[in-house]
Order: sequence, then structure tokens, then C-alpha cells
Amino acid sequence: MTFNELSWEALAFGAFTILTLGGALGVVFNRNLVRGAVWLVVSLFGVAGFFVLLSAPFLAAVQVLVYIGAIGILFTFAVMLTRSMTNLSERFNKQAWLSALAAVTLFLLILLAVIAPIFGEIAAPSSEVVATTEDLGVALVSGDKFVLPFEVASLLLTAAMIGAIVIAREED
Amino acid sequence: MIDVPSIADLNLTVTFPAVFLALFTMVVLIVDLFIPKDRKIRTAHLTLGGLVVAFVWNVLVFDSNQTALGGMYIADSFSGFINFIALTAAIITCFLSVDYLKRTGIEQGEFYSLLLFSTAGVMFMGAASDLIVVFIALEILSIPLYVMAAMRYRDAKSEESGLKYFILGAFASAFFLYGAALVYGATGTTSLPEIFASVEGIVATDSGARLYLVLGAALIFVGLGFKVAVVPFHMWTPDVYEGAPTPVTAFMSVAAKAGGFAALLRLMVIALPELTANIGDTIAIWQTTIAIVAAATMILGNFVAIVQTNVKRMLAYSSIAHAGYILMGVAAVGTIGVAEEATRAALIYMLAYTFTNLGAFAVVMALEKDDGSGTQIADFKGLSRSRPLLAVMMAFFMLSLTGVPTTAGFIGKFLLFGAALEAGLVLLTIIGVLTSVVSAYYYVRIIVNMYLEDGEGDPAEGATQYLNYATYAAFAGTLIIGLFPFLAVNLLDTMMIAGLF
Amino acid sequence: MVEVEAFIVLSAALFILGAMGVVLRRNAILVFMSVELMLNAANLALVAFAWHWGGMDGHIFVFFVITVAAAEVAVGLALIVAIFRSRQSINIDELHLMEG
Repeated sequence: MTFNELSWEALAFGAFTILTLGGALGVVFNRNLVRGAVWLVVSLFGVAGFFVLLSAPFLAAVQVLVYIGAIGILFTFAVMLTRSMTNLSERFNKQAWLSALAAVTLFLLILLAVIAPIFGEIAAPSSEVVATTEDLGVALVSGDKFVLPFEVASLLLTAAMIGAIVIAREED
Repeated sequence: MIDVPSIADLNLTVTFPAVFLALFTMVVLIVDLFIPKDRKIRTAHLTLGGLVVAFVWNVLVFDSNQTALGGMYIADSFSGFINFIALTAAIITCFLSVDYLKRTGIEQGEFYSLLLFSTAGVMFMGAASDLIVVFIALEILSIPLYVMAAMRYRDAKSEESGLKYFILGAFASAFFLYGAALVYGATGTTSLPEIFASVEGIVATDSGARLYLVLGAALIFVGLGFKVAVVPFHMWTPDVYEGAPTPVTAFMSVAAKAGGFAALLRLMVIALPELTANIGDTIAIWQTTIAIVAAATMILGNFVAIVQTNVKRMLAYSSIAHAGYILMGVAAVGTIGVAEEATRAALIYMLAYTFTNLGAFAVVMALEKDDGSGTQIADFKGLSRSRPLLAVMMAFFMLSLTGVPTTAGFIGKFLLFGAALEAGLVLLTIIGVLTSVVSAYYYVRIIVNMYLEDGEGDPAEGATQYLNYATYAAFAGTLIIGLFPFLAVNLLDTMMIAGLF
Repeated sequence: MVEVEAFIVLSAALFILGAMGVVLRRNAILVFMSVELMLNAANLALVAFAWHWGGMDGHIFVFFVITVAAAEVAVGLALIVAIFRSRQSINIDELHLMEG
């Protein structure tokens, strides 16, 4: 096998795999909370890359905007507000024996995921129909599709906002 | 051109109990802003009014057997019954909360909005026929509960309880979600009836899709198992129940369970009953697993409850045990032909448990001091002398939780054990009966404390006006179901889970 | 060939890493970050399956998951900060998370 046989999709897949799993490993194993937040963003960015690869550009944009832009920043704020915890003396809790079990499973999975697919190119999707952003938008508000979850999700955001305010409000 | 369906196509009428409650939540939220801090009882009245309207509406559309909103929402007697449980729980919790919140100094108008949000979540969960709706409903059921559990902000235990509930809840949601993703991967759809339609083909071809489907169902079970607190996903229950404000604990113990079991039953009955090992088998592949979990839950819940000295913790373990009994009904659903009977038994058990458990918590709250103490079993000593009526009602609730005849709990257990026997789960039924006998030990211990031991003074200073209303309502419900079970059974007599039976 | 299975195996690895983080880490914020990893694993699986099936259900599902994640983060971080304010510690072990 020569280098030319590696398609760019396979290379991108490899690169995003490294970002996603590397970031995740960083979250699980690092000693510093601020770095943990950065690793999380790296991992989320890798997932956004996969979304592009899987022909879901709109979701990739939402992932970057909401997940990285909003959720990542919120995490950073929380880390700052609880500042004395940025350096953790003890990394793990007392259940570390579980890590052995999980790590073996994980290793096998990664072996399969990363090594097996790199020798080829991306398979064509089994269906040519790819949802466009317009399709998604229409589906979200049309009465015979997803309007119920859409409205309930609005309700959920309101509930979460009220809830966060109730908790964070100083005693008055 | 966008094809706009007419309003009539949406079939909104049958969704009104849940949709009205959701809209009403916003009204409560806004009106509460204009209610002065010392008059928050008006918010409670408003909330109660809305709940009663939803309740009446639910009675009107109870048996409509229609789908709405493009098939996302099923209005059948199953969802009608879940609405009935959710609204009953919310109404009684509202009565429970009024005085309690005031005397413990945590009265906030938002409490009632959050209660309504959560109730609407249970209702949407019972009516959902799409995995997406189930997931969002699960969240809107849970997120307000995390906040309400942490509301007693002067007490570190309450905040801890909120955080613990939150982290394990989010963990469970992730399991549920991954399971839903795998089920979607196996079937290519998130709609429960469509999943049902493709299950048989997947079983027949024995492809990789079956692996996804089985794994997905297992992960969904883990996710919902956390919510309803079955062994081995129960570890959060005692601490969260003990730390949360007691009305929240009461609501959590019935509403979150009703929502979780509603989703579980819907999924197992509508989508996956045909997930058998081979074509033509009459027993679903997941039945044995669920039966084992149910047995473990009943055994652990009942035996650990024996050694508890705090009544809130004891009721937490008792609620784990009761989740085990209801799970027995879910397991029975796995035998083809018994699904209808088992679903009905599980629903009636949940209703009986709702009344009984809310009543038990109401009496606990009557004894609870403003600082949260006074919930030890020893605090019940001499209650029969200082408050005879309260003691009689508490004794009745305890007997109902045990499952003594003429109580609601007996009817529930009778139907459940019957369904399990018919499904061929003999060993599980025997375990159910034996653990019920064990449970009598710790329930009767409270009765013994109330009647045979002497206490000092009047411990029940919390038995205020509104709390008494709640206790009477729960007592009446427990008594009526116990004496006239056909009232509840008839509701489900023409049990139709939208076009399946 | 990069088949859909490759994405699923990858998402499973991410999910397990996240679950490991929840079980192993002691700090509440890191535990919560690990939950986010698990949600992302599910999102990845959903989009991969949507690609495989050619439908949009999966995309819609992911859209809602991101919404839910935002709601969870708002409430969760508020809780964590509130606890830190009153106890000066957010270590999970002190909360006895996994004990009855």
C-alpha cells in the first residue's frame, strides 16, 4: 500500500479520531480543571469534524456554536468560579479498579475503529437523500413532523432557565 | 412550497390536558411575579386551579384513542391513566407544599412553576410515541426535580441531594440516549410504531441490526432504570430522598416513577414485544433479564428498609421495593398475550402507590420539625394518643404499602401477581409474595410505635390545614381503590394502546 | 472502507471513555464534562446512522440533544457553583455519590 491509496476522507477520519479520543482522554486523565475544559473543547471539535464528514454541515455549525461556544465557555466560567480546585491532588476516586476493565474494552474498540478503516475510502451513504438545512427547518415546525418535540424543548429551556436562577439567586 | 397541515389535522383537542398544563405553567410563572412575597398562597391556588382544569379535561378526552401532532402524541387510555396519576400527584403535592414551604422558609413562587413543568413532563412521557419526544419529556420531568431537590438551600444535605440527583440523572439520560441512538441505527426510525413494524424482520434475518437493537434496548432500560430506581441503579435514592424537601421527595417518589415506567411500558409494549430469540417464540428476549432485576430490586429494597431508622430513608428503600413490584409487571409484558393484562396491573399498582405513598409522606411531614428533624421512627411514638385520626390514617397507609386486603395496595399486588403468574413467572411471583411478607415487618413497626409505645407531648405540630387536606385526599384515594377496585379497573377495561390490542 | 460501523465503534469508544470519567473522577465538574462526552458519543452515533439511513430523524434528534445539553449545563453548573459557595469543595467522594 502506498501513501496515495489513503484517501483524504480516511486521513480526515484519522485526524478527527485523534482529536475526539485524544480530547476525551485529556478530560478523563488530566490533573487540572482548566486544561480539562480545553480538552473537552478539543474533543467536541473533533465530533464537529465528523459531522462535516457525515454530510451534516448544519449540525457541525450548531456543534461549534452551541457546544463549543456556549457550553465550553460555561464550563470555563464554572471552573473559574470554583477556582481553588484547579489543581487536583487526587485524580481518581476509590473505584480505580474499574479502570482496568474499562481500559481493556476501550483498547480493543479503538484498535478496531482506528486501524481497520484506514485502508480504504469512505463508503457512499446507502441513500442519496441527505437532509438539507431547509429540510430540517421545515421539519422542526411542521405539524405532522417534529413540532411537538420542538415546543416541549422550548418549555425545557424555560424550565432550565428558571431553575438555574432559583438555584443561583442569593438569599433575599 | 411548504405543505401546511390544517389545525384540524393536528388533532389538538386530545392533547389538551398536557398542552394546556404546559401553557398554564407560563401563566403561573408570569402571574407569580405580581404576587407579593407574603401572599404566595395565591400562586398555590392558581396552580391548583390549573391542575384541576387539566384533570377535568383529561376525563373528557380519556378514551379518545387517537394520535395527534403527526403521530408524535398518542391519546389512549394508557396516556389518560398516566395523566390521571401525574395530575393527582401534582394536586396532592401542591396541598402538601403550601404550609411546609412557608414554615421551613423556602417559599418561592417558582416552586409551583417547576412542579407544573415536571408534571407536564410526566404527561408528555406517557403520551409520547417517538423516542425523541420520550427523551425530551424525560428531561423536562427531571430538570425541575433537580432544582426542587436543592431548594432547601440553607441545608447542605439538600444541595448535595440536588447535585447527586442531577449527576446521576444526567448520567442516566446519556445511557438512555445512546440506547435510543442504537435502536434508531437498527431500525432507521425513531417512531415507536414504526420500530415495532421493523422488529420482526430484524429478528428473522438475525443481522447485526439485532445486536444494535438488543444493546439499544438494554441501554434504554439502564437509563430508565436509574430514573425509577431499580437495583443496581438505585444507589442515589436514599440520600436524595432524605436530603430533598419532603414534598419534593413525595412528588419524586411517585411522579418520576410514573413517568419512567410509562416510557418503559410504552417502549416494551408498543415497540419491542416481538424482540424474541426466534420467530414464533412467545417470550421476548428481554423478559428474563427484567425478571431478575425485578427480583433483586424487591429483595434488596425490602431487606435494607428493615434496618433504617429514619422514616424518609425507609420510604426510599420501600420505593425501591415497589419499583421492583411494578417491574414485575413490565417483565410479564414480555410474554405475548399477557401484555394487556400486565400493563393494566402495573398502571393500577402505580395509582394505588401514588395515593398511599403521598399519604405516608403527608403524615411524615406532619411530624417533621421546621429544621428537618423529627423524621425518625421513634418520633412516631404515642401518635395514637395525641393525634388519633392521623395515626389511623398512617396505619392504613402502612397496611396498604404492605398489601393487606381492603387496601389499595392489595388490589395492585393482586393484579400484578396474577399477571405474572399468567406470564409463567412463577418463581418471580413467589419472591414477590415472600418479600411482601418481609416488608410487613418494617411497615408494622411504625404502627407498633404509634399504638404501643408512649411518647411525650404532641409531635405532630406540622399537621396544618392544607397538609390535612392532602392527607384526607390520599386516604380517600387509598380507601376507594381498596374497597371499590372496579372503579379504577373499569377505567382500563377497554384498554387500547392505540391500535395494538 | 470507512463504513458506518467505524463511526459507531468510535462513538462507542467515546461513550465508554465518558462513562469511565463519570465513574473514576472525583471532581463534580470533571464528572459532568464526562457526561457531555457521553452525550457527544450518542450524537456521533445518531449522525452516522442518519447518514446510513439517509433520513433526517437522526439529525433532528441531535439538534434536540444539543438543546437538552445546554439546559442540563445551565442547571448543573448552577448547582455546582451553589454547592461550592456553601461548602468550598466539589469533590464527588465527599458527596458519597455511589453509596446508598
